[in-house]
Amino acid sequence: MITVAPISFAAADIQPTTSVLAAAKTLPGPLVESLYIHVPFCAHKCEYCAFYSAPPSGDVIHRYVHALVKELELVASRARPKTIFFGGGTPSLLTLKQWETVLEAMHRLQLLPAAEWTVECNPATLSIDKARLLRSAGVNRISMGVQSLDESLLDRLGRVHSREMVFRSYHLLRDAGFRNINIDLMFAIPGQTLDTWRKTIDEALSLGTEHLSCYEVIYEEDTPLYEQLKAGEFDVDEALACSMYEVLVDCLAENGFQQYEVANFARHSTSEAEVCQHPFIPSWACQHNLGYWRGLDSFGLGPSASEYVDGVRSKNWSNTDLWITQLERGRRAKESAEALAPLSRAGELAAFGLRMNAGWSFTEFLARTGFDLRHDWSEDMEALISRNWAVRGEDRFHLTRDGIRFADAAGACFLRPEGSASQGSKPKSRI
Amino acid sequence: MDAAHIRNFSIIAHIDHGKTTLSDRLLQRTGTVADREMEDQMLDAMDLERERGITIKAHPVTMLYRAKNGEEYELNLIDTPGHVDFAYEVSRSLSACEGALLIIDAAQGVEAQTVANVHLAMKQELQILPVINKIDLPHANVPMAQQQLEDVLAIPGDTALLASAKEGIGIEEILEAIVARIPAPKPTGAKSLQALIFDSYFNTYKGVVVLVRVFNGELRPGMMVKMPHSGKTVEIKEVGSFNPKPYIREKLEVGETGYITANIKTPREVKVGDTILDSKNPATPLPGFQEIHPMVFSGIYPINPGDYEPLKVAMSKLQLNDSALTYQTESSAALGFGLRCGFLGLLHMEIVQERLRREFEMDIIATYPSVVYRVQMTDGTEKEVDNPAFLPDVTYIEQILEPVVKAFVICPNDSIGDMMSLISEKRGSIQNTETMDARRVMLSARIPLNEILIDFHDRIKSLTKGYGSMDYEPDGYDPSDMVKLDMMVNGEVMDAFSALVHRSKAENRGRAIAAKLKEVIPRQQYQVAIQAAIGGKIVARETVSALRKDVTAKCYGGDISRKRKLLEKQREGKKRMKAVGSVDIPQEAFIEVLKTS
Ligand SMILES: Nc1nc2c(ncn2[C@@H]2O[C@H](COP(=O)(O)OP(=O)(O)O)[C@@H](O)[C@H]2O)c(=O)[nH]1
Ligand code: SF4
Repeated sequence: MITVAPISFAAADIQPTTSVLAAAKTLPGPLVESLYIHVPFCAHKCEYCAFYSAPPSGDVIHRYVHALVKELELVASRARPKTIFFGGGTPSLLTLKQWETVLEAMHRLQLLPAAEWTVECNPATLSIDKARLLRSAGVNRISMGVQSLDESLLDRLGRVHSREMVFRSYHLLRDAGFRNINIDLMFAIPGQTLDTWRKTIDEALSLGTEHLSCYEVIYEEDTPLYEQLKAGEFDVDEALACSMYEVLVDCLAENGFQQYEVANFARHSTSEAEVCQHPFIPSWACQHNLGYWRGLDSFGLGPSASEYVDGVRSKNWSNTDLWITQLERGRRAKESAEALAPLSRAGELAAFGLRMNAGWSFTEFLARTGFDLRHDWSEDMEALISRNWAVRGEDRFHLTRDGIRFADAAGACFLRPEGSASQGSKPKSRI
Repeated sequence: MDAAHIRNFSIIAHIDHGKTTLSDRLLQRTGTVADREMEDQMLDAMDLERERGITIKAHPVTMLYRAKNGEEYELNLIDTPGHVDFAYEVSRSLSACEGALLIIDAAQGVEAQTVANVHLAMKQELQILPVINKIDLPHANVPMAQQQLEDVLAIPGDTALLASAKEGIGIEEILEAIVARIPAPKPTGAKSLQALIFDSYFNTYKGVVVLVRVFNGELRPGMMVKMPHSGKTVEIKEVGSFNPKPYIREKLEVGETGYITANIKTPREVKVGDTILDSKNPATPLPGFQEIHPMVFSGIYPINPGDYEPLKVAMSKLQLNDSALTYQTESSAALGFGLRCGFLGLLHMEIVQERLRREFEMDIIATYPSVVYRVQMTDGTEKEVDNPAFLPDVTYIEQILEPVVKAFVICPNDSIGDMMSLISEKRGSIQNTETMDARRVMLSARIPLNEILIDFHDRIKSLTKGYGSMDYEPDGYDPSDMVKLDMMVNGEVMDAFSALVHRSKAENRGRAIAAKLKEVIPRQQYQVAIQAAIGGKIVARETVSALRKDVTAKCYGGDISRKRKLLEKQREGKKRMKAVGSVDIPQEAFIEVLKTS
């Protein structure tokens, strides 16, 4: 693996000469069909959040918007996005005016239209005008960070919005013409009971969204929630978390949702199937995120964003000021880049692809990586199958319902770290 | 020097009672070492010896002393190992002497270590010359020390010399008493050479240097000599003595002490207690030779499996100067390759481990120590077992005998109760209680060696706030109800934890280890049962509950690199784990438990 050490601030004036970084720069090559844009601002930091985001101060959003336009210009010649995703942070925090600047630039740079274009919204920061503006510009999917529909849990998590705002924003989005809406929910929140979780699921279902992302609380280092856990303010109840997950999966299945990834559920409608027809993936699945798990090339713009282009995964500085300064000087602000050897890259893809209920089609994997799961990973597949964690079909290998709960352990067997003894030779791994 | 003008003696003392200081004074006073050359405490060579206050090797020093009667005497001080782990070496060094100085701290009185060594000296029929040292101390209590000499050691208190090694008081008197009261060596009357080997050490230039005391005849370079117990015949190259540095002499005569070198490459070719004889006209060897046998065994493993070869090299270097140390390769499923090592006793074991760590910078872990059991089989044969893994099937065992020691514990009066319960907890029986003085008693007890291996000494120290002292000497074998305790995970025995324990202790020990293992074994994707078993019967059980999930809740584009690195780490970690059956256990977990059990 070639890893470029973080470029120091002092080196900011020197154009990186490293080959990997050079490759990370946009050079002629096949068009990249996925575009992620990170908006690093939030009204208030949530207790559990480890994303790169902070409350904006001064004219930083204004400068951010112009730097973003600059970064879009730098990649535009290689980008012809089929999916676009504005994440954060809170993209809906940008004002109408700021959004207009961004949308105008995207239009000018011929990055539009995209088949799927998602913007993450916070229920507290939506207005009907903003919703209409986005919809008319071509945004066709909204992902709302809701997390819970229980007031006290919303407080517990430090969310800025209320329960009511969720319902209001949802209807406002429908009124603005959005037909594809996702809601993010969290479970195993300290203090949450199985009952409140059931209630939140029911209420979310009754809203009638096309998509639900439901994930267990992650205790990320350096977050207030993690510190509280370490300080012993509460305990993690693993059994309860597992029950919540089981309730979730059953309940959503009964209500017409199909799980297609560890934390992602979508409705399927044959008539409205908009983007693609994959035998094991529901039609309202998020195409953009599927691209990550399938290993598609993707640009990532904005502070802290990661991208994968031409076999190089690189990451922008998680430092908005530095990122802006660099772009004001006309260059992208890369913190690091790595290029994996082909087998390692394939192993990584195999591992993360298993997070999807569809798993891998052998032919698709072969076409994408040049490696055949049936050769290089047959022992690993056997091991998982013997534990009832996975099933192998004619042209498919995927995790079972049990196996999905151990997707990390399962995925780890498929990795082929560079420099490890197994690289290049027949691997033997234990579970 | 003619035998009438030679005195051979050693010094018996409890740690810190002043043996080193007094030896230095003797060297100075006799002019063996000039005052200005005098580095403090000349005799103690090794740091570790110094720190622990014990001497592992015998250091003979030859001093010339002109006594008040105007005649010159050759005084040979043989500094003996100070611990009964080395009882055999001690007995050989003592038997090279005709007398012993017994040093007692005027403020501390007689201590346990002293008792065991005085017993040894008395068995050798040495003339004992008591010296009450540190009389300069304000709280010195000479009458008390004298009383204890009588009560505990049966030595008339008024025969004791009074001294302050530090202040140089009484040194002259000690030297005079050595001349006057310690007998001169007498030729044995055998037909030819007899020289006792009481130690040896390895020198890079000279090979093995053999320390000897001539009992009959004389030793000169060029002589062909043989050593009957090792079966070797060699030509003597060099003879000499120490002052305290080695110096070459023309010959060593009857009664003299010194060294010889010959073409001897490894210390194991020389046996302590063997007699050097004229090869053409050999006399009978001196009595008292014994093969030395390790008493305590333990597996020593490198923490990093790649360090196995360096460990072997280090061990062979240690063995050059420590022929009592034995080792052979063994392997454990959990710990990989290591060495099964035999030691003379607990202290010897600790010293070897400590030297491996300090002098060789080896990162090592030792398994639960075992004594040597005598297993009597139903067919009438007897086997020695020092490794629980090799205990024969119980159905063929008639009975198991375990080694027992006689322990001397000296403690303050107010800890007698604690001491008695400690001794009975250790399966010991108290045989005698003696009042030492107004504040202390000495308990003599028979205790299985196995019981004092682990924490007996530390417990005494902590129960008596540091005032108690303990020593022991081997006291035969007793039948005992020993059982093999195995620790298992999901039904598989973890060999590193197997031990022979007394039936009455097995359950508690099993429970304690199981509880500890539960703390250190990481949760797996299935339930892990930790069991302690005695011959198939489960006596303790703990469960490490199954991991119910192992999945990152959320993983999108930006997380993939970071997440992959985490998984790679997890994967690497798993490789370093030892698989016991289907359960992966990190080596650190074994080490953690071995350290504390
Ligand atoms: N006050 C006093 N201290 C002494 C005397 N002899 C030795 N010491 C001290 O007692 C301690 C132990 O003495 P040392 O000779 O090392 O004892 P060893 O362990 O028996 O060799 C040292 O601090 C000495 O200085 C003495 O006669 N009087
Ligand atoms: S709104 Fe989202 S990005 Fe912002 S702090 Fe909360 S969780 Fe983090």
